[in-house]
Amino acid sequence: MQNATHSSSANADPLGANTEIARKLKQYYDDLVSDDVPDRFADLLSQLEKAEPARKKD
Amino acid sequence: MAVSVAFKSDLIGAIPSLRAFAVSLSQNADKADDLVQETLVKAWDKHQSFQPGTNLKAWLFTILRNEFYSQMRKRGREVQDSDGIMTARLAVHPSQHGQLDLKDFRVALEQLPEDQREAIILIGASGFSYDEAAEICGCAIGTIKSRVSRARTRLQEILQISGEADFGPDAIAAQVMGSSAA
Repeated sequence: MQNATHSSSANADPLGANTEIARKLKQYYDDLVSDDVPDRFADLLSQLEKAEPARKKD
Repeated sequence: MAVSVAFKSDLIGAIPSLRAFAVSLSQNADKADDLVQETLVKAWDKHQSFQPGTNLKAWLFTILRNEFYSQMRKRGREVQDSDGIMTARLAVHPSQHGQLDLKDFRVALEQLPEDQREAIILIGASGFSYDEAAEICGCAIGTIKSRVSRARTRLQEILQISGEADFGPDAIAAQVMGSSAA
C-alpha cells in the first residue's frame, strides 16, 4: 500500500542502521543465536532420518 | 527422494537462527523450541519443494513464521497485550547516561505488535534484505519498510530515545545492512 518511492529518505533506511536501536537489536538477536542448541533437535533429525527408508515404499 | 546429507546438515546449521527468530516472535523459549521442532519436521517432509541454490534460511523462516501464525490463530490469540495496559506500566526508564540496557530493550521489543517486531528482526537482526523479508512475510517491500519504520519509532518512544542521530562506525552499518545472514 505504501508507495516505495513516496518518501525516499525514510524508505532508504527505515531502520537507521547506525542507531542505538539497531545496535541493541543486533545484540539482542546475537545473544539468542549463540544460545546452546538443545539435544532434542539432533535427536529429532536422527529420528526423521531413520524413518526415511520406510517412507520410500509409497 | 531421500533427504540429502547436505540438506540435513544445512538444517542443523540453521537451528540457532531459527530458534532466535522463534523466540523473537513468540517471546517464549518453550514455545519457540516447539516452533522450531515443527519447522524442522515440515521442512523435512517438504524438502523436495525446496529449490537447491535458493535461500534455505529464508525458506525455513517462512515455514516457521507460517507455523507461528497458524498456532496463534488456533489458540485464538491468547493474552496479547495490544497497546496499552502493559505499555503504561512498563515505563522503561532510559538509562541515565545514554547506555541502553539490553533487558530494557527486550521488554520494549515485546511491546511491539508482531508484524512490526518480525519486520525489524528480519531486517535489523537476521540479516535479510527487504526483498527477502517481504517474501518471508508474504507482503510488499513497502509494507516491510513501513513496519520497520514504525517499529523503530515505537521503540524510540518506549525507550525514550528522541531524535536519535545516526552515529558510530560504518562497520556497524555495513553489518546491519549487508545480507550477512546470521
